[in-house]
Amino acid sequence: MKMKTEQSVDKILVSILQRAFKAITDEMSISLTKTTRSPILCEAKDFVTGLYDAEGQMLEQTENLPILSFSLGPVCKEILRQYGSNLREGDVIIHNDVFSMGNQNNDVAIFKPIFFDGELVGWSAAKGHQADIGGAVQGGYNPNATEVWQEALRIPAVKIYEAGHLRQDVWNLIFANIRLQMVQEDIKAQMGACTLGERRLQALYSKYGRAVVDLHKHALFSATEAMMRAEIERFPPGEYKGSSWVYYDGKHPGSKFEVRAQIRVAGDEIWFDFSKSSQQTKGFVNGTYTSTCSAITLTFLQMVNPAIPHNEGMLKPLHYIVPEGTILNASYPAATTFGNHLCPQVADSIFKALGPAVPDRVTAGWNHLLCSLFTGTHPRTNRKYVDICFLGMKGGSGALKGCDGYDHIGMIDASGGVLDQDYEMYEQQTPHMIIKHEYLCDSGGPGHWRGGLGTETQILLRGDETTMVVFGDGDVEPNYGLFGGKGSVLNRIELRYPNGKKKIPKSKDMVHGIPDGTVYHQIAGGGGGYGRPKKRPREKIAQDVRNGVVSKRAAREIYGFKS
Amino acid sequence: MRYKVGIDIGGTFTDVIAIGDGGETYVHKTLSTPEDPSIGFINGLTELAEKAGLSARQFVERIDTIVHGTTVATNALLTFRGAKTALLTTRGFRDALEMRRGIREEQYNNRYENVTPMVPRHLRLPVDERVDAEGNVVRKLNRKDLEKLAVQLKAEKVESVAVCFINSYKNPAHELQAAAFLRKKLKHCFVTASCEVLPCIRFYERVSTTVVSAFVGPIVARYIDRLEKKLAEVAYRGTLLIMQSNGGVVAPEVVKRIPVVTVLSGPAAAPTAGAYYATMLGYENCITVDMGGTSFDAALVIGGECVTSTEGSINRYRIALPSLDIVTIGAGGGSLGWINNGGMLQMGPQSAGALPGPASYGRGGSLPACTDADLLLGYLDPGFFAGGRLKLDVSAAQTAIGEHLAKPLGLSLVETAAGMYRIINSNMAQGVRQISVQRGYDPREFLFIVAGGAGPVHAAEICSELEIPAFLVPSVSSIFCAAGMLLGDLKHDYIRSCYASFRSLDRKHFLGLFAEMQKEGVATLKKEGVAVSKISFHPVLDMRYAGQYHEVQLAADWRSVQSFALTDIFEAFHAEHNRQFGYSLKDEGTEIELINVRLRVVGKNEKPQFAKPSGKPSSAAEALKGHREVYIPELQAMRNIAVYDGDLYLSGTLLKGPCVIERITTSIFVSERYDCLVDPAGSFLVYERARFPGGESEIRKRYRQR
Repeated sequence: MKMKTEQSVDKILVSILQRAFKAITDEMSISLTKTTRSPILCEAKDFVTGLYDAEGQMLEQTENLPILSFSLGPVCKEILRQYGSNLREGDVIIHNDVFSMGNQNNDVAIFKPIFFDGELVGWSAAKGHQADIGGAVQGGYNPNATEVWQEALRIPAVKIYEAGHLRQDVWNLIFANIRLQMVQEDIKAQMGACTLGERRLQALYSKYGRAVVDLHKHALFSATEAMMRAEIERFPPGEYKGSSWVYYDGKHPGSKFEVRAQIRVAGDEIWFDFSKSSQQTKGFVNGTYTSTCSAITLTFLQMVNPAIPHNEGMLKPLHYIVPEGTILNASYPAATTFGNHLCPQVADSIFKALGPAVPDRVTAGWNHLLCSLFTGTHPRTNRKYVDICFLGMKGGSGALKGCDGYDHIGMIDASGGVLDQDYEMYEQQTPHMIIKHEYLCDSGGPGHWRGGLGTETQILLRGDETTMVVFGDGDVEPNYGLFGGKGSVLNRIELRYPNGKKKIPKSKDMVHGIPDGTVYHQIAGGGGGYGRPKKRPREKIAQDVRNGVVSKRAAREIYGFKS
Repeated sequence: MRYKVGIDIGGTFTDVIAIGDGGETYVHKTLSTPEDPSIGFINGLTELAEKAGLSARQFVERIDTIVHGTTVATNALLTFRGAKTALLTTRGFRDALEMRRGIREEQYNNRYENVTPMVPRHLRLPVDERVDAEGNVVRKLNRKDLEKLAVQLKAEKVESVAVCFINSYKNPAHELQAAAFLRKKLKHCFVTASCEVLPCIRFYERVSTTVVSAFVGPIVARYIDRLEKKLAEVAYRGTLLIMQSNGGVVAPEVVKRIPVVTVLSGPAAAPTAGAYYATMLGYENCITVDMGGTSFDAALVIGGECVTSTEGSINRYRIALPSLDIVTIGAGGGSLGWINNGGMLQMGPQSAGALPGPASYGRGGSLPACTDADLLLGYLDPGFFAGGRLKLDVSAAQTAIGEHLAKPLGLSLVETAAGMYRIINSNMAQGVRQISVQRGYDPREFLFIVAGGAGPVHAAEICSELEIPAFLVPSVSSIFCAAGMLLGDLKHDYIRSCYASFRSLDRKHFLGLFAEMQKEGVATLKKEGVAVSKISFHPVLDMRYAGQYHEVQLAADWRSVQSFALTDIFEAFHAEHNRQFGYSLKDEGTEIELINVRLRVVGKNEKPQFAKPSGKPSSAAEALKGHREVYIPELQAMRNIAVYDGDLYLSGTLLKGPCVIERITTSIFVSERYDCLVDPAGSFLVYERARFPGGESEIRKRYRQR
């Protein structure tokens, strides 16, 4: 029987379908970029689009931010469990609940079941980080939260359209609990993208017929799985351990928590076990199962062939063990909004664990995120503004064998997917004036291959009563170098008030009433170095010194460079 | 007899076309001379003179206009061989150029490196000065700084300097002062200020575009100088015009000032020619595609005009000047087939190029390329490739495809070649989808115009995947670009930032900006010899709903702009927003913002008349060369089908599919479901038989309907 199936697979059609699926999720993604209002969506592209089959298996995704790589599939399967056969053409389901496979409260998903000839054949989905999701603090980052209701409105899977009809009562209930009108518009944009995906997938089914698409979909999964298995086989079998620290839960100064990875490679499969990590915190510094699995997946994908297609086959040889009650998978009803930002620690622990086994695939430490968000009133227009200071937060990535780190790339969760604001647009849309935004000398962790450079940012804050929310890490322990490479400088945010006083906020903090004329100063550290600095080619050191990104003193003392 | 001449210099060939005032056309191809392209330029002219039966001197005396497309700037960028360039910028912002707003295009690839900046950090020099967001000087330009920097630039032997200060779009005084100072101090240096190149908001876009201009500037200027000198030597007294990235032409003086306008000088001609052809044949909207050896270009023509965009980049270098919106993907005759480690067949983007070329070229290439597949599938005749000038080696193609692909896939040679053909066609179809569907246009409503040697072999399958019912192969398809150059109008694009809500927009200021741009455009066109009656104005407003980040470039009505008829402008904006994104906020009464105002000033050029061939057309039977085995995609099998001589005069002749129409420069595959009709201009119109039972007249009706 099996033989017969294999014979009828058209290998060429497998390649073509793979491209067709990718073209659909890309098109959904472009549609969202152009139609959403919130800068977190249309500028920072904090969203993912995807297609799934009738069993909830991933056909393809366009993950603008890698941290969203795993955030839709598990929800799709959860929805199928919940609704069973109670699904009809024209249904639209909304979901954000972190205790039923959601990854972060603010990340709200829209799912649309896709029918062909009266049968469920698949799903289109889009998930994006909303500008508001209810809870105690606008925007969702509430450093004082201890349980989910202080952070957000919970939305377990619920139909907002049933067989093509809007359920106005449900819609009203949801949006009565969300602050900004913009969120409704952005959810509509997500539904539009899903409709686009639905039409395109239906067109593929009409063109080739259900039997042919389904057969070739499985062939695509198998081919992809084979690619992933071939990659894993190149990792030496064994057990590997690595760990990394999270500092400060937003409640207890000086607190710290461990993220511990135990990784087992056997044959062509790999297990990521985080059971030995610290228990969950009492604050909002907690992960969810789905966001942790995303962090694991994105880190591992950076260690294998980047050309492997993103579908269910890619995930089959990967196993995740993240027990409930740990900091990476907090139990109900914990606060978890900070969870996505535990990605750097998950990544560190995996890279550190696998370093000895596959030294040519791991990177040294990436800069951990430390970010601020300003709200206030623009004195020229008298309008309220909210601004996440993307341009200040981006540090360097860790170096790897044969390759320097990437300068000013930002957190590994995004890996260069979030862009800085343009300076001149920034000065139009906020009252502030940028004084400096440049690479920071000596911020790249020294090594044979140097860590990516961090940045120094200075902004003159204008307007009265500015509020600043700070969230992140990386201000206590320098990130790590590998194989003789060294770490980089610490993250740091400092306010210099006009009266000469200074304030250094905590890594999870809220500062009110910042006066006009205050200077905001931020250091985003670089990435760690790889290999001994003394082995770095002399011409590269000379070039770094000439370009002012390595000081003469560091060149002499750390790299042993005689000019 | 007077002539107009178009010269397109590509990597391999220099194409020349001359059209006399009676419409007689001479075309010629000669080898390019990459070390100094002006040599090939003059060779082309001299050799063409022979074809016209004239001495070089006689011929040159009779030329009124030469329009020239050059890849000098493109190549300098692609090969990173620009001038030694420095950047003077506001203290605190020297890294914006290299940071590129912090993007890494391949997020899962830790070995993906940033672009090498065109100006290394040690030559990105900070200057003490600051203008705020309102245009007020917060910190005066420090002249002493400038003097020190001038000394340093001299010592570094810098050839070119870009000056870009923050908020100069609001107040360019500091930039202009610095540029003037440097021009005085550094006599041999090319100096360019951002307010002269792209005076609009968005610092990164502006600094990148200005630096590209500085980087290619001295090379382009030197080339134009050499060319003008050579033309003077042959006593040329006519006009020289250069093709720009925006599809228009421009005088050499402007190019020397803003060299970045020539970055797409070569490829810009194909859509321009496409627009002309489409209009001439009575079609308003078309998609032009050009498939060459390594790449496939697709562009859109709407209402007879090429679509431009300001979103372009080359090799990840951002260029924000209006350029023809061309999507380029790595698919061409040289694209290589390979198998990934999941066992899936892939095509490109790696290419065998012209050297060593596909295996069948017999020039040392052993890897299987698209051309090798086309050969095994019977689309190409091994003895008649390029009219027989290059004999193709069938057994080399068989070996390459067999060893590298068919054996590991467990498929037959034909199955594998057909797979390569399908995959590359599907890749090209994605490129067309990108330029149309993703821009809010339905490709099925467009006539598909196919240029380039390899295109007509693949067009039927690309069209079929996109459900496009007809395509056209123009008679000059192989020298399409050179012909296109003669068709471009003189076009100058101006931009001013005008960031304001329409609620508080100052009428006088708004109209003043347009008057300024209009004056500048008219003055430039007059210098280029254009009569005032031939000048037209095309305003564009960059607008968005308050709170949005992405703006819509609205092609506004010139009269509405001049009379400040905001209601009309708003109506047009709501409609355009709705077309692009599927909704407008007209009913919500949302506030609308203006970001930039742009003015394109166009000087209409006299178009040459192509002579229509005359005489008695050959019938299909007379054009029949023979039959051969050719792969029919619909049947997934080889069939013995007719092969016609497409170089005969065939006006009005119907060639029924399936068949292959061979020309010296290309080969057109008409598949099972298609027929081909040759029109009076000698173009090949290939259409799906079942969809047009009424043939040509029905096709015309369909595409003219809008």
